[in-house]
Amino acid sequence: MKKKKLVSLLTVCAMTASLLAGCGNGANNSGSGDSGKSGSSTAKSDKVELELFSTKTENMQTLQTLVDEFTSQHDNISIEITAPADAGTVLKTRLTKNDLPDIIACGGDATYTELQSAGMLMDMSDEVGNIQEAYMQMLYDVNKDGESVAYGVPYATNASGILYNKDMFEELGISIPQTWDELMTACETIKAAGKTPFELTFADNWTCLPPWNSMAPVIPDASFTADRKENKTTFEETHQEVLEKYAKILEYAQNDYMGTTYADGNKLFAEGQAAMMINGNWAISEFKNTNADFNVDMFAFPSVNDAERNTVTSGIDVLFAVSSESDSAQQEAAKEFIRFMTETDHAQQYITEQFAFSAVEGVAQEDPTVASVKQDIADGRVSNFPDHYYPSGFDLASILSQFALNVTNGMDLQENITQTLQTCDEQYDATNVD
Amino acid sequence: MKTKKRTSIILYMMVVPMAVLFFIFHTYPFLQGVFYSFTDWKGYGNWNFVGLRNYLHIFKDSNVVTSYLFTFKFALLATILVNVLSLALACALNARIKFKNFLKAVYFVPYMLGVLIIGYVFKFIFSNIVPMVGNALGIEALSVNILGTSSAWIGVLIVTVWQSLAFNTLIYLSGLQTVDKDLYEAADLDGAVGLKRFFKITFPLIAPFFTINMVLSVKGFLMAFDQFMAMTGGGPGTATTTISLLIYKKGFQGAQFAYQSANAVMLFIIVVAISVFQLRVLEKREEKVN
Repeated sequence: MKKKKLVSLLTVCAMTASLLAGCGNGANNSGSGDSGKSGSSTAKSDKVELELFSTKTENMQTLQTLVDEFTSQHDNISIEITAPADAGTVLKTRLTKNDLPDIIACGGDATYTELQSAGMLMDMSDEVGNIQEAYMQMLYDVNKDGESVAYGVPYATNASGILYNKDMFEELGISIPQTWDELMTACETIKAAGKTPFELTFADNWTCLPPWNSMAPVIPDASFTADRKENKTTFEETHQEVLEKYAKILEYAQNDYMGTTYADGNKLFAEGQAAMMINGNWAISEFKNTNADFNVDMFAFPSVNDAERNTVTSGIDVLFAVSSESDSAQQEAAKEFIRFMTETDHAQQYITEQFAFSAVEGVAQEDPTVASVKQDIADGRVSNFPDHYYPSGFDLASILSQFALNVTNGMDLQENITQTLQTCDEQYDATNVD
Repeated sequence: MKTKKRTSIILYMMVVPMAVLFFIFHTYPFLQGVFYSFTDWKGYGNWNFVGLRNYLHIFKDSNVVTSYLFTFKFALLATILVNVLSLALACALNARIKFKNFLKAVYFVPYMLGVLIIGYVFKFIFSNIVPMVGNALGIEALSVNILGTSSAWIGVLIVTVWQSLAFNTLIYLSGLQTVDKDLYEAADLDGAVGLKRFFKITFPLIAPFFTINMVLSVKGFLMAFDQFMAMTGGGPGTATTTISLLIYKKGFQGAQFAYQSANAVMLFIIVVAISVFQLRVLEKREEKVN
């Protein structure tokens, strides 16, 4: 009996320990990644092998085409693209193994900040001559301590706002809303016609972010992100109106918005089941997959009634960074590749295929699906995604998803808003410290 | 003497390589995790010893406390449901019924599929098929995706129970087959039939199997991860974030590597403590029966 007890106990211990084993893995590999890498490049000294790591899976095809063209011009360089799912996490786990890819294509967000602040990226200041100033500023803003050094080359940018069904708007005689009140009137008109104003897809909780990302840079003071970091202000004092309007949007959403997935919602929207969706240009190619003739356009989210203040949310969707751990031949080849990518023709090809915008000067997106925001972007009526400034452990999407869930459960709105904003402050402080 | 020695070498040859592998790939990383739980390591870069700071912080972190409570609730309900249902199933499958082997196969299939795959399949069922049926029949409760409501955990619970039934049923079934048929005949003569026979004879006799099932279930459900990852991602909000999911999300995505290592050590201690407690109590019961 005793023995059996011991055996079962050990089994339980062992099986439980596997949970921890997952956490501890790979911590002892420091250095081995480097030696392996330099070993392979010296063995074939005439051929430089690069790994291009992309945090987006959507642009894989386009990148591959451009890489093929590049390598056909440069016989001595070969580039392999990796673009795993949940790439941010993969990148971080590879960082723990000191096995950083040579070229990293990631967004100008917390992933970049983490690599940059860990000192893993090369200074690219010589390579950013033809990049738009506005996007360089966005890059500096996400550097640690706001340092004005380019550790990456901003390449493609995105835009987030309201995507609308052009045909439905025309049919109902609605013009593009310029102010918050006009947006509400438009919603009423759509509802009165028996249609759904907004298709929201909160089953994938990152889609809770776009409405917040559009309103948060416009409604509170512009100094909020900096002040919050230094603890001079709180979400609770400044974001009340954002959530009030957020709740209004929820009123005009389809019935089961908490249970609709991003994939399903995109499909329903492209089939004409709703008039608007609050998301970014990256969703357009998804609509086109469902309905190639879908007549869609995007306008800036009218957060306030002063039309001049409303902005398109636009951030650095893809930037190219080079690992400071690679050897010098690899770094030269990587820079060569980035120069190739930022040439006008290739930058144009990229944004045309990806429905994206370019950070390269003089390269404009001509596609009609984003015609309405093109002018805003050209006029500089742009603000960066506020969540790019939040610390990476701050899980705003879950907090907003909880807010929306409370709304569906009929919780008192003011209580819900206060509680949500307090959670924001608590979680922000909890992640800002470590 | 000589023969004894030869046997032992062969036995060691069988055991030692596995023990070495086990140590390298399992015990060593585990110890590393424990080590890093006393540091402020982000998963890369420099680190310092911070003593027990991570452990003390756990008790102040409302995220961690909420997910522990949720995980306990989930594990308790799942354990009860799985064991009651699988015991009932095992009794039925042990009786003389038609299509016995076919039914055994039917119940065992979910166990052979990966939990992740089942999770994704059921996510689709809950978000598309169930609401469609609900709308068609006009049943309001079924017309929305349950995974997008406060009851999301019930959806996950159903899938978990369905998937876990197989293994527990199998263990109970093998337990039932060890029960001597003569005992039933004797019981028949004494007038113990039906439920009475089950509670007075069958259940006490399969006590060791009950023990192992209880311990394994609790351990498994306290560490539930895959099904939540696939079906809800911990949402909506943080309503279905189990402790393992929290460790994964915050540890890797939130750069709280060391802190979540401490959390994992904590979970390890809790699971071991609960298991020891269960073994103590349940084995006392076994001894009483025997």
